[in-house]
Amino acid sequence: MRLKQTKRTAIGFAISLGRFIAESSVKGFFIFFLLLVSGSIIAQTTSVGGTVTNEKSEPLAGVTVTVKGTTAITATNQQGFYNVEAKEGQILVFSFVGYASREVVVGNQQTIDVQLSVSAVDLGEVVVVGYGTQQRKDLTGAVSVVSPSEVKKRQATTVAEALQGLATGIKVRGGGRPGSEAQIQIRGLKNMSNTNPLYVIDGLITTANRDFNPGDIESLQILKDASAAAIYGSRAANGVIIITTRKGKEGPMKIDVSAKSGIQIMPRYDLAETDEFKRLNYMAYDNAGATRQNLDTAINTNWQDEAFRLGSINDLNLSFSGGGKNGSYLTSIGYFGNKGTVISTGFDRFSFRVNSQGSKGIFSIGENIAITNAKADEMGGNPVLDVVRLLPTIPVYNEDNPGGYGYGSESRARTFGTNPVAIANLIEQTNENLRLRGNLWSELKFTDWLKYRLNLGYETSRDHYKYFRKPGNWTLNQAYEPSIANENRAEFVSKLMENTLSFKNQFSKHDISVVVGQSFQQDDYAQIWGEKREILVNSSDRYYDVLDQGVSAKLGGFRNRAVLLSYFGRAEYAYDDRYLFNAVLRRDGTSRLGSGFKWGNFPSVSAAWRISREAFFNVDWINDLKVRANYGTLGSSNIDYYESLAFINTLTTIVMGSNQQKELAATQVRLANSDLRWETLKQQNYGFDLSVLNNKLSFSAEYFIARTTDVLYQSPILMTTGHDGSAPRANALTLENKGFEMTATYRNYDHPFGYYGTVNLTTLRNKVLELGYGRNELYVGNTVTKLGEPIGMWYVLQTDGLFQSQEEVDNYKNAEGRVIQPNAEPGDIRFRDNNGDGQITNADKVVVASPWPKLELGFNAGATYKNFEFTMDWFGSFGATVFNGPRSVMDRFDDNSNYRAGIQPWTPENPNTDVPRAYYGSTLNSRGDTERWLENGNFFRLKLLSVAYNLPDKLLEKVGFSNAQVSLTGQNILTFTGYTGLDPEFSNGSIFEKGYDFGAYPNLKMYSIGIQLGF
Amino acid sequence: MKKIILTILVLTAFITSCNKSLLDQTNPNTLTVDEFWKTESDAQKGVNAIYAMFYQDGTWARWIFFRLDLTSDEGLSKSPWIELADWTRFQYVNYNFWEGNSWTWRDTYKAIFRCNQVLKYVPDISFSDGTKKDRILAQAKFLRAFYYYYAALLWEKIPIVVEPSADPGEQPAENTLEEVWAQVEKDLNEALPALPEQWDAANTGRPTKGAVYGMLARTYMQQHKWTEAKTALDYFFTGAGKDMYELVDFKENFRATQENNKESVFEIQHSNENTGGDCDCVDNNMGSNRGQFFAPRGIGWSDGQARYWLVNEFKKEKTIDNQIDPRLQYSLFYPALEADFGDKVYGRSWEWGADEAWFKKYSRDYYRTNEDYFSEVNNRVIRYADILLMYAEVLNELNQTANAYQYVNLVRQRSKMAPLATAYPAIGNNKDLFRNRLKIERALELCGESVRWADLKRWGDLETQEKVNAVAQRDPDFSNFVVGKHIRLPIPQTEVLNNPNLTQNPQY
Repeated sequence: MRLKQTKRTAIGFAISLGRFIAESSVKGFFIFFLLLVSGSIIAQTTSVGGTVTNEKSEPLAGVTVTVKGTTAITATNQQGFYNVEAKEGQILVFSFVGYASREVVVGNQQTIDVQLSVSAVDLGEVVVVGYGTQQRKDLTGAVSVVSPSEVKKRQATTVAEALQGLATGIKVRGGGRPGSEAQIQIRGLKNMSNTNPLYVIDGLITTANRDFNPGDIESLQILKDASAAAIYGSRAANGVIIITTRKGKEGPMKIDVSAKSGIQIMPRYDLAETDEFKRLNYMAYDNAGATRQNLDTAINTNWQDEAFRLGSINDLNLSFSGGGKNGSYLTSIGYFGNKGTVISTGFDRFSFRVNSQGSKGIFSIGENIAITNAKADEMGGNPVLDVVRLLPTIPVYNEDNPGGYGYGSESRARTFGTNPVAIANLIEQTNENLRLRGNLWSELKFTDWLKYRLNLGYETSRDHYKYFRKPGNWTLNQAYEPSIANENRAEFVSKLMENTLSFKNQFSKHDISVVVGQSFQQDDYAQIWGEKREILVNSSDRYYDVLDQGVSAKLGGFRNRAVLLSYFGRAEYAYDDRYLFNAVLRRDGTSRLGSGFKWGNFPSVSAAWRISREAFFNVDWINDLKVRANYGTLGSSNIDYYESLAFINTLTTIVMGSNQQKELAATQVRLANSDLRWETLKQQNYGFDLSVLNNKLSFSAEYFIARTTDVLYQSPILMTTGHDGSAPRANALTLENKGFEMTATYRNYDHPFGYYGTVNLTTLRNKVLELGYGRNELYVGNTVTKLGEPIGMWYVLQTDGLFQSQEEVDNYKNAEGRVIQPNAEPGDIRFRDNNGDGQITNADKVVVASPWPKLELGFNAGATYKNFEFTMDWFGSFGATVFNGPRSVMDRFDDNSNYRAGIQPWTPENPNTDVPRAYYGSTLNSRGDTERWLENGNFFRLKLLSVAYNLPDKLLEKVGFSNAQVSLTGQNILTFTGYTGLDPEFSNGSIFEKGYDFGAYPNLKMYSIGIQLGF
Repeated sequence: MKKIILTILVLTAFITSCNKSLLDQTNPNTLTVDEFWKTESDAQKGVNAIYAMFYQDGTWARWIFFRLDLTSDEGLSKSPWIELADWTRFQYVNYNFWEGNSWTWRDTYKAIFRCNQVLKYVPDISFSDGTKKDRILAQAKFLRAFYYYYAALLWEKIPIVVEPSADPGEQPAENTLEEVWAQVEKDLNEALPALPEQWDAANTGRPTKGAVYGMLARTYMQQHKWTEAKTALDYFFTGAGKDMYELVDFKENFRATQENNKESVFEIQHSNENTGGDCDCVDNNMGSNRGQFFAPRGIGWSDGQARYWLVNEFKKEKTIDNQIDPRLQYSLFYPALEADFGDKVYGRSWEWGADEAWFKKYSRDYYRTNEDYFSEVNNRVIRYADILLMYAEVLNELNQTANAYQYVNLVRQRSKMAPLATAYPAIGNNKDLFRNRLKIERALELCGESVRWADLKRWGDLETQEKVNAVAQRDPDFSNFVVGKHIRLPIPQTEVLNNPNLTQNPQY
């Protein structure tokens, strides 16, 4: 079995790679440019110039060179050469990602050659902090900077998916399914409405959904604490991810090409085949005294082979960039294609971007525009569970059934599992959107220290959802349905207008910078949908799946609008780089909240002390030591449109009268809380940054306490209210997160063999301080949430082994001598009668475990030797208890589904097992609310392993390339875990049952090959 | 440049100046609650929305039949969905089981919320025709009583909510069964004066005085308030309802061909005109799912079927011209149906077990070979034959056994069965013997019509182990029945856990 899979993997890889080389239509385009472009460089006359090299005296291309205190900026070319106009006495600043910045005073020389050395943390690195930038050394808040090259190493549909393990306090779950958008959580669950952070792309407040191309990223920073995120006040409670897209740099046109191609492998269950299934199924029926079903033992279907396949990914990017003194441009095009690991699923994205800017005098203007089209061929049903629910004795195809597919049968295979092949062929479901996202900005630089900026953002998405179903069945006893076509078209438009005024100046040792601004954002969403049945079909079974022909027409539509108004300001003050202060105030008003509660104020303050700059501090081996503290308030109003109002549902009809004429009905169906107000996060953060041993070892740690009050969430309400639908949003909860984060990095590039290693560690505890509606506890599914305890603790019946004999059953009594499970028989589960009342009821349930990990650990390491680069990333999570939903289906015998291969149910001959006796038709041993299905969720996983080879310079010169790299990457290729489900790193949308594996789409193993060329 | 700055300043000023209106976005899609309940039309739509609850799955579109028909000794479930079947045989493990319990609970209170809205808001609406207003309020009262009646049958000790919920956090206190019955009586008695004897053609299907008296009689009978029950039922025999109802062709009580006929006392109006789902949305399903769920294996889900003792019971007594009781032909699908009456089952010859039977009432096999979720056949909740048998029962309990015979005979006569005294001379004026026979008469006439669970409770047949054992002779599922416990359902567990004012039913 395993051999077979390995073989298929290798073949698939070859096919996939071959297809990429031979078939890719984009390829011709790339070759065209490869031939077209030569690597010629035009030398320029300068006042100051030179070469920037690394420690090995190799030229560094792309190093940013600025003249301090002026707007002059340039970058080194492929030979590491730069030139810039500067006066004597001015300071040149050389900065490059991954290297320590250097400052050099311009003397009377014409040539300044600079050598940069690799640093663990680049303190001079420019960090975008929202409406401005700061140098990393000046940060007072918790900001993580993620290198785009790390992001690009990974095969990921979305940015979020690529961030796992790259920064502390970031938890990413999901992905895998074609076009799926991973969930990302920054510093724990602080909020119940939308746990994703706010994305700011080129100043535009938006989301980096699946139609955003991660290949366009130039820099990515994560604002994690209140003081850092406060400038985005109202929606920053879940953290902020700021993305800046690539810009052209001064110099001749640079062309970058990258291509990645890979395969994806679905993890699999080990399930019984027909022989084993038959034996167990007969046992379950015989034990129950039921007549055996007439299993079709001639069939042995491997449903996993039918539903799953080898997936593939192709990711191609091409960009052209360049610029002069007064302007720059970048054009990029990209294609991302993913053939899903489940049949009939896939995702395609085409993206196009133009970023350009220019300046004249004090005026500059620029724009960033991205156009993307993304299309997902979506999965129907849940094949991850269906492969378990279907029996191996069911054939894939069965002529006797409507539509011709095999599924359960009353006499031969009683199961309601759905045939994934039937769903794949009978249903077509696609979701496509065209997004235009861009901003136009202009700046007036009145003086060196004062500038005004206008930012106009516009984003629109035209969405098209299409569903078409042919007649035919996929499950037992399904009601007849004709062909159905359903489509909806929607339009999302977001408009943003921002005015900011920035002041930045230095008076001897005093650095002052102030930003004030105002912002207006309006979001509109509108949709129309239609559906028809009995769609036109021709004689050769071709359907005309438009909404033109057909009967039973239905249609509907709606439109929504929300407005956000904001005023904000930030002041920064630094004295001699030793004492740093930062204060932010934002005031937001939103149309989404209740009347009288629309405005909120979100202040924050932070301070840092760079001890290493003090005169008294005289420790040679410490290069930098800074302590930081801050306190801030953030808000959240991430709720749906108009949620504070109660509405009348006017959609339904009834029939009445002797002619049964239709009459309209209208009533209130949903309740609402009219006093919805801002959810407020108050956060304290204490941290320090330390660099030692010539910046080789750096260490950073944070402790934080985050308390969210008035959490906006859909707190479950009683059914006796008569409310229907998801619970109304309420300011119902107070949550506290306390956490500790630590990062340690060691880098050593002194020798030809250079290497680094980073350890990330996050530990977090959440606690509920208020539950809303005056409750002390809240029960949802198999969980309870109590005041003072974490959310959603497992609350189930405890088991105490199996009864081995009738005597044990009879002797299992409570204090009063009542037999607790009188109907049990040997081989049945013994449950704990925790309340001692002599029977097993819901009252015996207790809290047994937590779904929350105690510790999350990331380990990233890399090395370079000559032209080779090596990277690996590990991620581990420890201490969580999770509920294995698929196993609760496989290991039950009361209902027909396939069984786990090798399962040993209790029999008198085989009493040494923890699996109760097989018994068809009774849920008592298989009930879902017991600790039988809980498992240790610990895992440690190799998220990424990558080897890259850079082509030697001599070879490059011959072919006219500036850089060329070939890389091999593996993702999720090794996992250490005791969890018996498909993937311990699963995600579900639930908040109270966070650790419940409902049969989630697993993370996939991926192997890919990549080529990057620049010239 | 100056122009740009000027433009920006103007725009900023503009935005700042209209802050208030910008942040007060109104929903362009529908009315707020404050905008509604103003006109006669609003009131009419509001009361119509209560009827829309009949179409929802927790109530009379689907799951109520599992509770009333399958849990009783007339039905059983052999569903491959074990948990679903367990909930028809007193194996209640997960009290939150949505299809078996919570869904019906939720939809019951959803319906009550709609009644409460009408009763709260409509009194303040001015009508040009006061009668119309009174009738709308009376309909809401009737329907509220209707839902509380069935909730009392199922869970007994439930919270009574008579005000529309304003605060989503409300935690209503529980009431005793007696209090729930009192609420049902109160609403019905208050609904009575305004409702007409008959509605005009456009409003046929709304409750009449007869419907109210029928429900009232059922409510009194469940409490053994026989005198009050007789007074209510007198309406049909000595009151204004005399001669208004009559027995029609038996099969026309279960088909779409002669709906709202002379036998119908209260009937749920179904239609297959919409093909949407169970929802408060466009194209909401107005049909019944019963056929899809109760049709034999291979035709529908077959989640529910009939106990075979019913077939035997039908065959015990022949008609006056020595034929098989004709009601059997339209009541059940059973192995000999084709041999006895020439009827196939949805066009198929018998292909199921020799001891199996399914409910034929409300099926559409009379014109189709399959079922779906959109059955247009109206559900006759109360029909005149039931009223006749109820009257007979009440008279018998009031020791007027001799007087009771005539009403049973009317029902038997339609099916060409000999008068009761002729067929069973041993009964005479023995009250107990008469009651025992009446139990069978009710099964033969009304099996599969969702009255049996109330009957068993009313007759006390589930009160002692001895009696339960007798029921278990007909329906082995009753061997799981624990006296004092399974007479009522457990309340959904989340409702009990999340409401400190509500306790779980005894022994659960």
